Amino acid sequence: MTFARPAAASAAVDAFAAALTLVLLCGVPRTASGQGFSGYAEAKGFAYADRVTYLDPWVVGWQTLFLKQEGKLGTASYAVSGRAEAISSYERGPLVFDPADRELRRTPVSVREAWLRLPVASSVDLQAGRFFLGWGKTDGYSPADAFLPRDLSDPFADEKLPVWGARATGQFGTLRFDGVWAATTTPWRLPVLSGRNAPIDTSGAPVPITLVDGTSRPPADGFGAMRVLASAGEWDVGLWGRTGVRPAPLIVARIDQAVPTPEGYAIPTDRRFAREDAGGLEVSRVTGPFVLRGEASILSSADPELGHALIWTLGLERAFGDGTLLVTLAANARGTPVDRALLFDRALLPGLIVVWDRTERWGGWRVAWTAAFDHGDGLLKSEVSDNLTDEWKVTLGAEAPYGSRYGPFGARWASRRVHFAVRQSW
Amino acid sequence: MNRQGAGVVVLAFLAAVPTARAEDARKLLVESEARHRTKSQQYAGDLTVVAKDGKVRKKAWRSWREGYAGDAKLLIRFHAPPEVKGVSFLSLGRPGKGPDQWLYLPSMKRERRIATQDRDASFVGTDFNYEDMEEFDQSKFAVSLKGDETADGQVCWLIEARPEENAGKSLYEKKLLWLRKDILFGVRQDVFRKGEKEPAKRLHLSDVQQVEGHWVAKALEMTDLKKGSRTTILLQELAFDRPQPAGRFTLQNLNREGGED
Repeated sequence: MTFARPAAASAAVDAFAAALTLVLLCGVPRTASGQGFSGYAEAKGFAYADRVTYLDPWVVGWQTLFLKQEGKLGTASYAVSGRAEAISSYERGPLVFDPADRELRRTPVSVREAWLRLPVASSVDLQAGRFFLGWGKTDGYSPADAFLPRDLSDPFADEKLPVWGARATGQFGTLRFDGVWAATTTPWRLPVLSGRNAPIDTSGAPVPITLVDGTSRPPADGFGAMRVLASAGEWDVGLWGRTGVRPAPLIVARIDQAVPTPEGYAIPTDRRFAREDAGGLEVSRVTGPFVLRGEASILSSADPELGHALIWTLGLERAFGDGTLLVTLAANARGTPVDRALLFDRALLPGLIVVWDRTERWGGWRVAWTAAFDHGDGLLKSEVSDNLTDEWKVTLGAEAPYGSRYGPFGARWASRRVHFAVRQSW
Repeated sequence: MNRQGAGVVVLAFLAAVPTARAEDARKLLVESEARHRTKSQQYAGDLTVVAKDGKVRKKAWRSWREGYAGDAKLLIRFHAPPEVKGVSFLSLGRPGKGPDQWLYLPSMKRERRIATQDRDASFVGTDFNYEDMEEFDQSKFAVSLKGDETADGQVCWLIEARPEENAGKSLYEKKLLWLRKDILFGVRQDVFRKGEKEPAKRLHLSDVQQVEGHWVAKALEMTDLKKGSRTTILLQELAFDRPQPAGRFTLQNLNREGGED
């Protein structure tokens, strides 16, 4: 367990070293001429309206340098990308070798992708290395995506993590398949559990309580998953199955190991990783201007704190101009007797997700509303960006969790914030 | 012939004129398609989007087409600017019907199906929409010859094309096509939205020249007459009738990242 918070000066030194390392590894971006070289540098700042404790900063800064090289080697394709970043808050981890993102905190330099894809037939590929996956067809909740690791260091950013493994994809006529083997577990990275990003609101406790990181030992093995998709006219049908380690941890608060501190009590919070088997069906149909979508999945785990679930979603997608409106309703049809607030991924169920984004000539905007029905809480997000040039973009946004503090969003009432970012891409 | 008989002849003639014009227009379009049909076409496109306020945006894509008109398959991959790099578009023509279309977004790692009535959406920030990206298929239109007119200093046939109801829904009520008389090559197209008398957009094809024995316009400009913006595409590295790899025009390939094709 640790109570240490990195000092700003230390963060700056680490970030500078990280950025320098990455630039030296990948070449100076402005002078790089290699085909398929791309990247961006971004400075982002968050300003908060509230805080839970005096340790929560009012202002947080994130600086990111992302570099990517992709191309072909004969008939094979490859991509390598890396990220260097400096975070002024305690979401930043130490500079360590963490190629599979298994550490609790983000290391300042990390490998995002490193894969090679080889065509073994005209429509069959083998891919190996570290790559991103995306199976769900919505921006909202999709059980097809629930086995993918996520980084919630910024709990509102909805950032996926790549996996190390192998993948076979192919198409025969209108039938497509996608088989994935993840060699090891890349766990969900959770935000710091104390302060404004705590998953449960502890401000009403009789004595001040702080959740602190306990043990986290993600299993060495990962998961296997298979999906088959078919298209027929206006219909798309998909079937998927998976087995292995569930990357979203089960949070176990060790009240028996609570430690008194000058502020109250610190409770170590362990992370366990359960095994889970799951299968699902997804059906979508183009109906006039809409794409209607339905998903049903059965999830089974012998772990009593996870249990079985029958999760379904209904979705509607509609394009408006150069943008999309997406509405997704998701719920667990089984009354699984677990503490959803500590599951993260299922905490919002039953819920409604509405996402509307639009690309304009000057940039774009996005509005997202997630409502969790169980406690009547939710999250409103909005963002507007202006493309100053083809390379420079500025973004202004706001995130506002609201509602009951017993809900997964309302518990983060002190995370209401605005953000501003400047990005240069190349 | 008495006066009544003469009247019948005049009426019959007048009734036959539109049919004859339709037949003429159909013949011209069928002949044009036969002359300019190629097995495949590929090029690198440099795009310039100029907004009404003069703001300029540059984009670049690579395009591969197999087939022609109603049976065309099209794959486009953007490689600039960074914001749209990797965005890919697949259109699979269905003769006599609207094509199936998908857009791949690398940020989401998934393809998005374009619903028929979504085709009014701007195609990745250009003045083209998804319907504009379809190859013109004369079999999906009722056509009639409106006479001749000069465009770009060339004498052209002016043909009106109205979408057939059973050929899939269209955003447009009609299209006016300018077909060069000398080579039967389309050099201008005005499109009219439903219920509107003035054209909504104008496609202008210029720098017409022969490449590998095929006539081609190396510059395309789509002007949105209402918004006052325009998108110009300059075609580079043009090549025709190259064999296309099996599997290029598939969803499997649309989802491939990191490759050039």
